[in-house]
Amino acid sequence: MEKVVLLLSMLSLGVSSQPITDVQRLFSIAVSRVQHLHLLAQRLISDFESSLQTEEQRQLNKIFLQDSCNSDYIISPIDKHETQRSSVLKLLSISYRLVECWEFPSRSLSGGSAPRNQISRSLTELKRGIVLLITANQDGAEFFPESSPLQLAPYGNFYQGLGADESLRRTYELLACFKKDMHKVETYLTVAKCRLSPEANCTL
Amino acid sequence: MMKTSAEVNLLLLLLVFTLHVKGMRYSPPGKPALTRCRSPEKETFTCWWESGSDGGLPTTHALFYRKENSEAVYECPDYRTAGENSCFFNKNNTSIWVSYNITVVASNALGSTFSDPVDIDVVYIVKPNHPEMVTVTVLEDKGWPFLRVSWEPPHKADTRSGWITLIYELRVKLEEENDWEMHLAGQQKMFNIFSLRSGGTYLVQVRCKPDHGFWSEWSSTSYIKVPDYIQREKPMWVLITCFCAFIFLILTWLLHMNGHSLKDFILPPVPGPKIRGFDKQLLKNGKSDEIFSSLVVSGFPPTTSPNCEDLLVEYLEVYVPEEQELMEESKDLHDICLKSEGCTSDSDSGRGSCDSHTLLMDKFREAKEEKRQRDQEKSRTGTEDQRQQKDWEEEGLTYAYEDMVSPNISSGRVETWPSLFSPLPQYSSSRHSQKSSLEKAKKHCFSDSLFPPGSTSFSLDQGGQTTMEAIRSSNREFSLRIKQPHLLHSHTQARCQLQAHSEVNISSIGCKQALGGLRSPAPHSAEYVEVQRVNEENTVLLQPVESGHGHIDGCSQLPLGKDYSRVQGVDRYNRLLLKGEVPQEGDCLYDYQDMTGDGTENCYTSSSVPSIQKPTACIHTVIMGHDEMVLAENGYIDTLTARTLPNY
Repeated sequence: MEKVVLLLSMLSLGVSSQPITDVQRLFSIAVSRVQHLHLLAQRLISDFESSLQTEEQRQLNKIFLQDSCNSDYIISPIDKHETQRSSVLKLLSISYRLVECWEFPSRSLSGGSAPRNQISRSLTELKRGIVLLITANQDGAEFFPESSPLQLAPYGNFYQGLGADESLRRTYELLACFKKDMHKVETYLTVAKCRLSPEANCTL
Repeated sequence: MMKTSAEVNLLLLLLVFTLHVKGMRYSPPGKPALTRCRSPEKETFTCWWESGSDGGLPTTHALFYRKENSEAVYECPDYRTAGENSCFFNKNNTSIWVSYNITVVASNALGSTFSDPVDIDVVYIVKPNHPEMVTVTVLEDKGWPFLRVSWEPPHKADTRSGWITLIYELRVKLEEENDWEMHLAGQQKMFNIFSLRSGGTYLVQVRCKPDHGFWSEWSSTSYIKVPDYIQREKPMWVLITCFCAFIFLILTWLLHMNGHSLKDFILPPVPGPKIRGFDKQLLKNGKSDEIFSSLVVSGFPPTTSPNCEDLLVEYLEVYVPEEQELMEESKDLHDICLKSEGCTSDSDSGRGSCDSHTLLMDKFREAKEEKRQRDQEKSRTGTEDQRQQKDWEEEGLTYAYEDMVSPNISSGRVETWPSLFSPLPQYSSSRHSQKSSLEKAKKHCFSDSLFPPGSTSFSLDQGGQTTMEAIRSSNREFSLRIKQPHLLHSHTQARCQLQAHSEVNISSIGCKQALGGLRSPAPHSAEYVEVQRVNEENTVLLQPVESGHGHIDGCSQLPLGKDYSRVQGVDRYNRLLLKGEVPQEGDCLYDYQDMTGDGTENCYTSSSVPSIQKPTACIHTVIMGHDEMVLAENGYIDTLTARTLPNY
């Protein structure tokens, strides 16, 4: 909620005299949020793997490549070259789509110690922040996500073939995909942020 | 034999074959295994494997990989770049966020063996190179040094674009220690290390890690030496300084507490003069003349006069009943004549008699006033000589009283005075006799210091001016308090005669004798008369005491015979009892330096004189007579009347 208020306040200012600074701050906030989500996903999957037995782990390794993530339909740059070739806006839109596609399925994720809805809330806030960033970059042009009508498809695939044996597998795949997508968003946002920062030194 | 050789050959062949078979066992290669795959910058990656047994045959290895969601199998594009048993995937072949399924196959002539597949995602196998350009410098922060470590990310890692985010870590340790001190630096490329050991050598290393990956290797060690910034001696000096300051404070406090007693100890207070009657202001003025003059008391110490003359007035007053009318007459004179300048001496001058003396002087003063009035009334009655006579009588009396140093002059003695003076005119013996008597009379003389040389004599008959002057001058000389500065030519003898009450008669003779005038100033010489015996007629026989010149240093000359100079007492018949004593040498304690050989005689006192001021029983009177004698309080003998009839 705090981030929403902050973002709204930033947005109310509009494209002010120092848009870059505000954008920088927004980017920083977004990146930090994504980093948190990514770390959370890493923790979830590691907890899941530790709870499995060795034989099940071997099975998981084999199964992993058979299925894909629910976000595979989103085309995203998969290497540095492609990423740097993409514009900031593209990166932001892709990030937005990725976050959006996980907004609802994350509720089914076994949170472990964290409550189930926490991830979903964070994702929602992140999405709003990205929208702000897109709006700030677009300079007035509205942004309509393209993948909104296709949002139901993942859910369809998600729940298909969910059996007792496959529950474990699906959980694992879900966690793995989530973790990967979070890392993607983090990378895209970081690259976009560094591209917009006036200083050459992006790391600080 | 043939059979044996064949068997041997067969055995040999068998043996060779066995050996051959052993050495020539071929098998398919062992199972290789992928050891690791690493990506240094998240753009390329390399996989390494190790081969198993080769099975005796040359074995080749091949790596095949398959990307996710694709069934296409690709072989490793580069087996050489990364070294032996490695496969290098360049940028074109590397995809991020894509799972790779990699398998290594070892194959030989007999077969091939596949390794276990490994699924990797490049994102999670990133292990960057170690940071580069690690520099360590020593900087100072307000005199205290610290280390500043700075580095650069590995050149392959693209941190500028944000493609890869690295966090750094460094470790520091002293050269002689074993434990490293870890510091997490985050994403910054610079770090400060404080709290350094003075003069120590430090080792610094840095490594980095991507946000999701593996730690890099440690960079090469950087050595740095910290300069000596803590001086060893300084704390000791600080301690010493503090200790000394503390001691100093304690001493100051002690000094302050005991300041008074210390001051008295170091600088004891100088006692002031405790002379009664001495004006301390004279000391402060610093004029030595005044000081000494104030210390000098008239009549003290007697330097030249014989011991008998020191403040001792011994009176032998011979009372002549038929001369009472003269007494009365003289009494008036006496009353009048006693007036003079009062003895202004105070109680501290040693002239204790002055107290009573002043009383007398006051009385005389009154009498004198009356007398003067009477004179004025009489005006020109009488001859001038008479007047002079009266005058000098008056003055003589006054001066006599002034000069009288003997203490304890009772008021009763005042009355005797006239008796002394009155009969004087009657005795107009010859000058010669007076002289002789003078010579022989022991007088009560004062010290020479008081009486300047001069041997004026006193004669009542003549009433000469000279005598008057003598008296006057002697008076003035004698008493310092009298402020009449003209010199005196007084004769001590005359003086003495004035003093001695009982000797007035005698002294008158002597004075007449010496009236001849003012002799040249000569040192005071006292003439003493020694009482030889008392004849049956109550006459005191006197014997002149010859004094020599060498009386200065001591009593070199002693009278022959016994010395009847001590009055023992007065018997009931009003007779003067004199004590005869053998004079002893060395009894002359007086310092009569001014004695000259004028034929004067000195008076020896047989008794030891403890102090000059003490009146000694230096003989006084020579008077014979059967007059009644009054014993003074302290040994003086006062006679009411005196009659001088010197008999030799």
